[in-house]
Amino acid sequence: MKKINSVAVHSVPDKKTKITVKLFGFILLAAAILSLPTRAVSQPPLYQKCLLCHGRPGFKKILPDGKVLELFVNKSELENSIHSKLHCTDCHADVMEIPHLKIPGKVNCYRCHYKDNPNGAMPANEFFQSVHGQMVTAGDPKAPRCQNCHGSHNIQKVNSPLSTVNHQNVAYTCGKCHKPQYDNYIQSIHGTALLDRHIKSAPTCTTCHGKHLILKPDNPESSIYPLNVINVCSKCHENKELIRKYNIPGGRISTYKESYHGIADEFGSVRVANCSSCHRAHLILPESNPRSSINKANLAKTCGKCHQNANINFTKGKIHVNYKSKSTGILYYIGMFFEILTVSTLTLLFIHILLDLFRRYKSGEIGGKNKRGE
Amino acid sequence: MNHSVERLSKNQRIQHIILLISMIMLSLTGLALKFHNNAFSVWLIKLEGGIWVRGLIHRFFAIILILLSLYHLLWVTFTDEGHKELMAITPRLKDFSDFIKKIAYNLGLSNKQPEFDKYDYLQKLQYWGVVAGTVLMAITGLVLWFVNQSMAILPKWVIDVTTLIHGWDGVLIFIVLFLFHLYNVHLNPEVFPMSKTWIDGKIPVARLKHEHKLEYDKLIPDKENEKN
Repeated sequence: MKKINSVAVHSVPDKKTKITVKLFGFILLAAAILSLPTRAVSQPPLYQKCLLCHGRPGFKKILPDGKVLELFVNKSELENSIHSKLHCTDCHADVMEIPHLKIPGKVNCYRCHYKDNPNGAMPANEFFQSVHGQMVTAGDPKAPRCQNCHGSHNIQKVNSPLSTVNHQNVAYTCGKCHKPQYDNYIQSIHGTALLDRHIKSAPTCTTCHGKHLILKPDNPESSIYPLNVINVCSKCHENKELIRKYNIPGGRISTYKESYHGIADEFGSVRVANCSSCHRAHLILPESNPRSSINKANLAKTCGKCHQNANINFTKGKIHVNYKSKSTGILYYIGMFFEILTVSTLTLLFIHILLDLFRRYKSGEIGGKNKRGE
Repeated sequence: MNHSVERLSKNQRIQHIILLISMIMLSLTGLALKFHNNAFSVWLIKLEGGIWVRGLIHRFFAIILILLSLYHLLWVTFTDEGHKELMAITPRLKDFSDFIKKIAYNLGLSNKQPEFDKYDYLQKLQYWGVVAGTVLMAITGLVLWFVNQSMAILPKWVIDVTTLIHGWDGVLIFIVLFLFHLYNVHLNPEVFPMSKTWIDGKIPVARLKHEHKLEYDKLIPDKENEKN
């Protein structure tokens, strides 16, 4: 409105009386002044109107089906969140009037969090390809949306200890829906390392599953697709610094890769055992723990998942065999014996052949002139 | 001099062809698995139809080799021809002295070549190497083939040992056969580029006289065995 008016005024200045010009000018100025405050005030935002109702503790609505909608919004939570400078209606964009008559729809974070937003909101495009995003797209009412993990009014930066998706907190957040997995994880060596011993390098859900782009395990693109599991575990279990710092057993990946399981995995067999087939995915425990799937007492059962005849006798001997280490015992010496046998056979044969050729050369046999019969 | 005598019967030549086909296929499928890290093996396993089909091919030719070995065992035991051949290839003390003589000759310490019968010491070594190797390969191979049954009676470390032996024995057989053949029947100046004995079964009399003097002395007075 403002712009159109000013164009109109400037395009026909001489045809109007001075009073008319002044009047228009005054109206314009008033309009400009009136329109300014809304922008200026967006610095401490205008929660006030909304919080007249939503700021009252215990504010709720009982729906016809008896469900209770908690509608209280904690003002201090909002003020401390990463979105403290936004308006309520920046997210609740379908609220046009106060009091609003309809229940507002679910907030769509994609309004700001799209790729290449000039205002710099982090993009979340990948989310829509994820198993969660696919559910949202399909219109599943139970589908987890951004706010299910990130929170709504209390959203914090990821590295804030208050963030629901902070490395320390994200397992609890995922556990709200993935309860059995969470229960297993918090007992696992990874869970106790992170949550009880506060080792920041210890993995949490997102370390293996990814963040926004979480895919089903049967999707070949998934980080936990059978063929990709080894890459996920390698991130830490092949990291020399972490291995040294936390005294993690080394050579787990390289020995796996030398085993038949590892070779078949490398060549694309999804039937063959990967790390989590034996160590489990969530309840990963050290060998010494009696509940561990790789404890000697449970090993027959673990191998038995694929090899029905595996028994306690079978489990004698190392699983991760490093043929090149003396600690492997008999295997090391048999390997060495064959290596020496092969190399010496090769060498002796070569010497024998060379001697023979040498003699034939000396006595003039080489050259084909003496070829007999053929 | 175009006279030749029969060295390998048709039966032997067929056995040899089945043996070489199965050995080559077993090597290609087996060594690709043992040395799975290099690009050639990766290419080979892809060519073989992936890791699973590779195994099927390997076991198929393993069956052929085992059946051939069983047939060969019956042949050397119960047929006159086979038994005669077995006797001819049995190692004797003379083989050891032949070896010493040959080395002395090749080093120029002596001017007299050892005289060989139908099979010289290298050929005997090769034959018995393959026999021992194949028996070992068959036993270890069956343990690994039926790993789910083996597990019921064997500890894992024994199966690991079996895997190790199977792999290395394969390498050893491959090297011995490859080098022996490369030298004896391909690069040998007498026959380069290839001796045709394995196809027509014949050996020129002149070569017989040169390489298997004792056999020559036995055969040549008997004119029936001399062929054109």
